Amino acid sequence: MKTLLEFPRTVWTSVFRHPLPGSDLGRSQTSFTNFFLHIHPVKVNKHTLKPWYTMGLGLMSFFLFVILVFTGVLLMFYYVPSTTQAYDRMLDLRGTVAYGTFLRNMHRWSAHGMVALVALHMARVFLTGSYKKPREFNWIVGVVLFLVTMFLSFTGYLLPWDQLAYWAITVGTSIAGYAPVIGKDIKFLLLGDNTVGQEALLRFYVLHVVVLPAVLTLLIAIHFWRIRKDGGLSRPPEADELPVQLAASTGPTMAITVNATPMQLDPAPKREKRQFGLMGIVRGPFTKTGNIPDNSVYSWPNLLTAELFVFVLTVAIILVLALLFNAPLEEPVNIAHPPNPAKAPWYFLGLQELVSYSAFWGGVGIPGIEVAILFLVPFLERKPGGVGRWFAKERMLPNTLFMTFAILNVIFIIVGTVFRGPNWELVSPW
Amino acid sequence: MKLPLAIASLIILIAHGIVFYEQFQNQWSSQQKAYFEQAQARAINAAEKEELGSRTPKVEQILVSQFGESRVDRCTTCHIAADDPRFKDHFEPLKSHPYSVAMGDYQKKNGDWERRHKFNDFGCTVCHDGQGRGLDLAHAHGSDEFWPDPMLGYVNQPNWRKDFTHLKGREYMEAACAQCHTEENFAGTPHVQRGRQLFFKYNCFGCHKIERLSEGTLGPELTEAGHKFKLDYLWESVVEPRANLATSFMPQFKMPWEDVRDLVIFLKSRKGFNYNETGLSRYRAKINPRMEGPEAVAVTPASLNIGSKTPEAMPKVTGFELLDQHSCFACHKVNDGKNKKDGGIAPDLSWEGLIRDSDWAFEHFKNPRSRMPDSIMPSFRYNDETFHLMTDYLMGLQTPAKFAPGEETFKAICARCHGEKGDGLGVTAVYIDPAPRDLSKPSFLATKPRQRLLDSIHNGVAGTSMPGWGKVLTDAQIEGTLNYVFTSIVKAKGDQYKDHKMPETNPVADTPDSRARGEQTFLARCIGCHGRKADGKGPNSIDILPRPRNLRNGSFVRALPDKRMMDSILYGVRGTAMPSWIEYGLSQKDAGDLMNYVRSLTPATRLQAPIRTARR
Repeated sequence: MKTLLEFPRTVWTSVFRHPLPGSDLGRSQTSFTNFFLHIHPVKVNKHTLKPWYTMGLGLMSFFLFVILVFTGVLLMFYYVPSTTQAYDRMLDLRGTVAYGTFLRNMHRWSAHGMVALVALHMARVFLTGSYKKPREFNWIVGVVLFLVTMFLSFTGYLLPWDQLAYWAITVGTSIAGYAPVIGKDIKFLLLGDNTVGQEALLRFYVLHVVVLPAVLTLLIAIHFWRIRKDGGLSRPPEADELPVQLAASTGPTMAITVNATPMQLDPAPKREKRQFGLMGIVRGPFTKTGNIPDNSVYSWPNLLTAELFVFVLTVAIILVLALLFNAPLEEPVNIAHPPNPAKAPWYFLGLQELVSYSAFWGGVGIPGIEVAILFLVPFLERKPGGVGRWFAKERMLPNTLFMTFAILNVIFIIVGTVFRGPNWELVSPW
Repeated sequence: MKLPLAIASLIILIAHGIVFYEQFQNQWSSQQKAYFEQAQARAINAAEKEELGSRTPKVEQILVSQFGESRVDRCTTCHIAADDPRFKDHFEPLKSHPYSVAMGDYQKKNGDWERRHKFNDFGCTVCHDGQGRGLDLAHAHGSDEFWPDPMLGYVNQPNWRKDFTHLKGREYMEAACAQCHTEENFAGTPHVQRGRQLFFKYNCFGCHKIERLSEGTLGPELTEAGHKFKLDYLWESVVEPRANLATSFMPQFKMPWEDVRDLVIFLKSRKGFNYNETGLSRYRAKINPRMEGPEAVAVTPASLNIGSKTPEAMPKVTGFELLDQHSCFACHKVNDGKNKKDGGIAPDLSWEGLIRDSDWAFEHFKNPRSRMPDSIMPSFRYNDETFHLMTDYLMGLQTPAKFAPGEETFKAICARCHGEKGDGLGVTAVYIDPAPRDLSKPSFLATKPRQRLLDSIHNGVAGTSMPGWGKVLTDAQIEGTLNYVFTSIVKAKGDQYKDHKMPETNPVADTPDSRARGEQTFLARCIGCHGRKADGKGPNSIDILPRPRNLRNGSFVRALPDKRMMDSILYGVRGTAMPSWIEYGLSQKDAGDLMNYVRSLTPATRLQAPIRTARR
């Protein structure tokens, strides 16, 4: 009987072994005692939490990915990647499935949002010089993530199997086919055939729901891991300077004593600005940290609150968008009737505009060079200054170049979206 | 941080609330609840009352797979009273579906009606179109502009043209009946039948192929027109042929809107598949070229192929009636003194006996392009006997034109092609290639010697639709009309005719080398207007009036003297876009090579009989 009455408490404490933290020790422990929270460092620099530094763009991208996986799995319960069934399934999703329209809207706007946000996140990282040593590898991982995100969006675009989807993918894969030497093979590999059809639909479906999400998850995990290994988010050198009045002290001014043998932490290294990594040698049931006054705050609750806020904001915006705007569904595929003009998805419209000037240079050459430069930029710009600040003067040249290319890309996308009409002629949108 | 967090969380909460609320507020469940209530009120007995009372709204659907791809029709979710005769006076959507004899429904002995086309077998969309899977009104009825099959006769999509006001109506449903009931004169489809008759009356069958109905090849095949296109597109294609293709030469027939509607209904019924047939019978009909099977209809409604009957069996029709039955007057005009009809699209044949001879006419009947290279007249597949009879009639039209010289003659004869104002915009002008000349251009007429103009009227212009009027008009009439043109039509005094002293014959010998050089020059200079095939359809040709000459028009080119050809190349043709190439560095030798090349494109072969136009 007593066992029965104590049931709730015993179940609860078997899952949540530690009480909510009330002390600094407790706050430190959260990073070691919870599977999900162990991603976080125990303490995080104050500069990292400044909203206008990162604007939470990376987090937003990640949360959008989570929303996409969640809504995507739900959509998978209703969708069939068959040329004869796909469109009918989309009609059912729209008209018959409970919350179907809403689900699809959330998925679609999260997808477009994620492509836009990863681009903005990349811009933020570049403009704050955050790809410099030691973060070069993480930047590479990030560029790969960007390309995988766009590929994910592209593969998903085909699945409704309506006129919009079919011809957008026809345009996109034809642009891929302009690559020299291997272009035709790449196109055949993508489509499984010479034209978009059942093979392409199945292939894109598998890529979209299995392969690319798995790759993305893996790369995101590495991306987060690298953030920790590189010492947290980038910040200006001032952020690491100890507060003035304590610059003279040589060691810990406080020690936390508990019922255990005092620990011997690694002696402070000779370099003054070095932060302690918390994965030092630990003996005993829990870690002891010196509560050195510095510019960091505990992850619990500060970082968690910030992340929660970004999550809630992201979800709120996506919910509102999904309520207000419906994802498009055009006529069923009619391979005898290409629309005029046939346009690629918006993130490829800049490419399509360039392709209208030159097939190779516009579709393959210039984008290839841009991506190559993105990959190489941490190895091209080796001067160490200007990290952790927006538009640092020391980095005027790379920032200007980046902004020029970014704005040009945006202009091309706008031209392709709004100013191009039938036969790709310039038209007035008004 | 706390306040924005609270606001964002509140937004999430409200959004979820709205989503859940909307999910439970669909239209069809309130319709069904209303039905349950009202049916309870009309219930026969207590058991039915109780059963209705315990029903909850749910999606109703009918799965139909015997009509092509499997269909899911959810119309009865809202139209739940469709089969409940007690609701026949209700308003939609709870109105019961009408019974009618036209749909094959019949009354049983006890007075109850029995449906022929039961909903469980047919569903709804096979007759009504619309979107079976939709559960809200806009999508279910196909009013969303992307749905290819809006409800026939009930729904206009928002992007349809507003000036087409006759696209709604019950008659359009007959197109759906005719998908299976393809027999001619089927009782339930009078508009389809009338549309079929109009398809022949307006000569559509000459250019457009519909399987087992007609064999035309000049226009797109219409076997599946009803399946591929919506009502507004079909309507637009009939009343404005050039709306979707600027280079279409389909005539713009003058039809009252009822004719257009019936044609559209007929075309909409052409789905290209007949659920009535098995696959085997369809295949048999396809490989067997004879017009057979339920779709087979005589090529014209009336007596066609009369030559196949014995002379006694041939119906007694006059020549005029013969032409009328074969729909010639959908385009042409004839006024033989006793009868008169005019389609307003093709030349006036009232004096044909004085203009052409019977060889010309017969060959032209068999294949119009053998005599008029860019003619848009279809090659009809009538038999030779029919053509001979038609030729005999036309050759019998030999009354000269009795109009006063000058304005009266011009307006009666010339204005049909050259326009009332002589500006080349007569009613037939857009269908004739080469187009009738704009006589009001001063530079065009004034740069030709008068004798050449008189010869053109008298003998015609070879290879063009300008016939020789020498036997139809007297010299006085011709002179008078030409004077009228110069005084009243030509707008201003243009340049005068200048003799450029060109050699009478081509000074350059016609050798393979010369032709090769000419071809190089042609490719470098001429193809922009005259086209790579030298047929006058180069990329610039769309913007030029009069169109660049079709240099493969053998009749024209062979009748063109060397002197004039060289003059045209080197000094251009005033009043047209043909430039003066001597100003671009071409010499007489270059022109000679060009001429050898161009003439090599249209050699006179023994198969082509010489054109005989009426000569003085």
